[in-house]
Amino acid sequence: MPKSVILIWQLLRKHISIFELAIFFVANLIGMTVILAGVQLYSDIRPLLNGEQTLIGSDYLVITHPVKRVGINSESFSLEDIEDMEHQEFIDAVGAFSASQFEVNGSIMFNGRKLSTMLFFESIPDEFIDVETDEWRFEDGAKVIPIILPRNYLNLYNFGFSATQQLPQITEEMIKSVNLGINLRGKEHSDDFTGRIVGFSDRLNTILVPDAFMSWANSYYADAEESRPTRLILKVADPTNPALSDYLEEHNYVIENKPAESSKALFILKVCIAIIICIGVLFSLLSIIILTLSIYLLLQKNITKLENLVLIGYTPSRVAMPYNLITLVLNLSILAVSLVIIFLTQDLYMEQLSAIAGYQIATSPSMTIIVGVLFTALIIAFNFLIINRKIRNISRKR
Amino acid sequence: MNEIRLHNVVPEIFAERKDLQSDIWQRDVTIQRGRSYLISAVSGTGKSSLCSYLYGQRGDYRGEILFDGEDISAYKISRWCNIRQREISILFQDLKLFGELTALQNIEIKNDITHTKTRNEIVALFDEFGIGDKLHSRIDHMSFGQQQRVALIRALCQPFSFLLLDEAISHLDDTNSDIMRDIVMREAKARDAAIIATSIGKHMNIDYDVCLNL
Repeated sequence: MPKSVILIWQLLRKHISIFELAIFFVANLIGMTVILAGVQLYSDIRPLLNGEQTLIGSDYLVITHPVKRVGINSESFSLEDIEDMEHQEFIDAVGAFSASQFEVNGSIMFNGRKLSTMLFFESIPDEFIDVETDEWRFEDGAKVIPIILPRNYLNLYNFGFSATQQLPQITEEMIKSVNLGINLRGKEHSDDFTGRIVGFSDRLNTILVPDAFMSWANSYYADAEESRPTRLILKVADPTNPALSDYLEEHNYVIENKPAESSKALFILKVCIAIIICIGVLFSLLSIIILTLSIYLLLQKNITKLENLVLIGYTPSRVAMPYNLITLVLNLSILAVSLVIIFLTQDLYMEQLSAIAGYQIATSPSMTIIVGVLFTALIIAFNFLIINRKIRNISRKR
Repeated sequence: MNEIRLHNVVPEIFAERKDLQSDIWQRDVTIQRGRSYLISAVSGTGKSSLCSYLYGQRGDYRGEILFDGEDISAYKISRWCNIRQREISILFQDLKLFGELTALQNIEIKNDITHTKTRNEIVALFDEFGIGDKLHSRIDHMSFGQQQRVALIRALCQPFSFLLLDEAISHLDDTNSDIMRDIVMREAKARDAAIIATSIGKHMNIDYDVCLNL
């Protein structure tokens, strides 16, 4: 290190108040920790309520008209209804469910016996499907139908049925390797197909086949007359948006896949986190004021020395260096300590959170680190600005 | 830098005075590199103001000060830092040393940014001044006369074209004053620099090229 740096430090460290710096350190540490804890908590809890691994609710809503009486529920969505929805800014996309209008018979060989049952299929546009697979396609003349089942069905069997009946549990991979016999009948046609389960959906509570297959089959096995959908799937940016729930209520639509509690819970979570982060920001702002005053006072006490250094040829930035260094070290250690605190406390609640969720929640610190680094950079930049401005002020010609 | 020109310069506070009798204020004076100038003054005629204007500390004057034909009033702080590191060196009347540092540290804090003299050269100057034993004494434990010598050594620890000496020998006896003169002449000659010495009576015994009354 150049000798001049040591000497300036020796000159300027006088009057540095450890007490003031300690107050800043503690206050900003609290502020930073509260802010980052809010961010981390939010990114940990959010997937539980709303996200990729959907537990309840989702960014996709399935809506219907309410069932009013037992019997044929004829209320469907008109083209105008759909168009109107597409024009709402809180709805990103609308997809219609198409139902099979022909007879479907599914069979499976089990213990040498053929078990068969009546089935029905539905399809929606591919963009709404949450299963990624190459097998999700159908070409005219193909004899294999890819099928997606709700993951619930498998869970129902594994955790409900098989457990009580002393039957073996089945994995997703096992099911995917089973071929189903599918017989389609209608308009004097009757053909056998092979059904293959290619994935499981958390989002969609129905037996899905590709849209391309459905439109071909509906025209081949049934009268081609376009049937109007009775269920729609909506893609929305924010399912908690009040405008959205007002709109659905106004048109008397019912959300099928979304218990109202989840959106309320998410809303309350957002409010709580916002309050936490506001408190953290307040703490940090107060601490920054303390540091600013402390530095101003420090510079004021050392003003003659600072002037003299500039007069013997030191540049203002060189004179500012020790002060910049103090704030840099202080703020970086605050960030480091606060991240350590957060990751230690996170271990405490993650276990319980995972227990509630029923699976190991994948947690990522990236959001917290990004916010922490940005916030620290902001504080450091602000500190540098006031220090350098003050020193340039001192250096100015009178 | 080769010349400093003062064109109609006058401190703001004297601007309205009609009875100014001065070789510098409200005149056209050029100070050239390589020559020596004595500026004699009585108290209160603006001697320290003149030094402050030339060193970029203050700007409360009328008229123009030109460095090589360039008006200095628009110079930014970075430019002044540059000038203070390599063009103009000054021995302040109030020295502006750092009391809590030692004599040697006061020199090093300057020499470390200009890299002009070796440690041996610095020690030799201390010895020449007769304060070789004070290298590690704190400045605020030294007499003003001793401090003046340390301040001069610091002023020499940089390249310069103009050396401003603001009452450099006010607290020196004749012997030490002559030692200072010899060192100043030698160092200025080596750099082909101008010497601008101010005085309110006692002045270094140099054969000045130009004598001006402020």
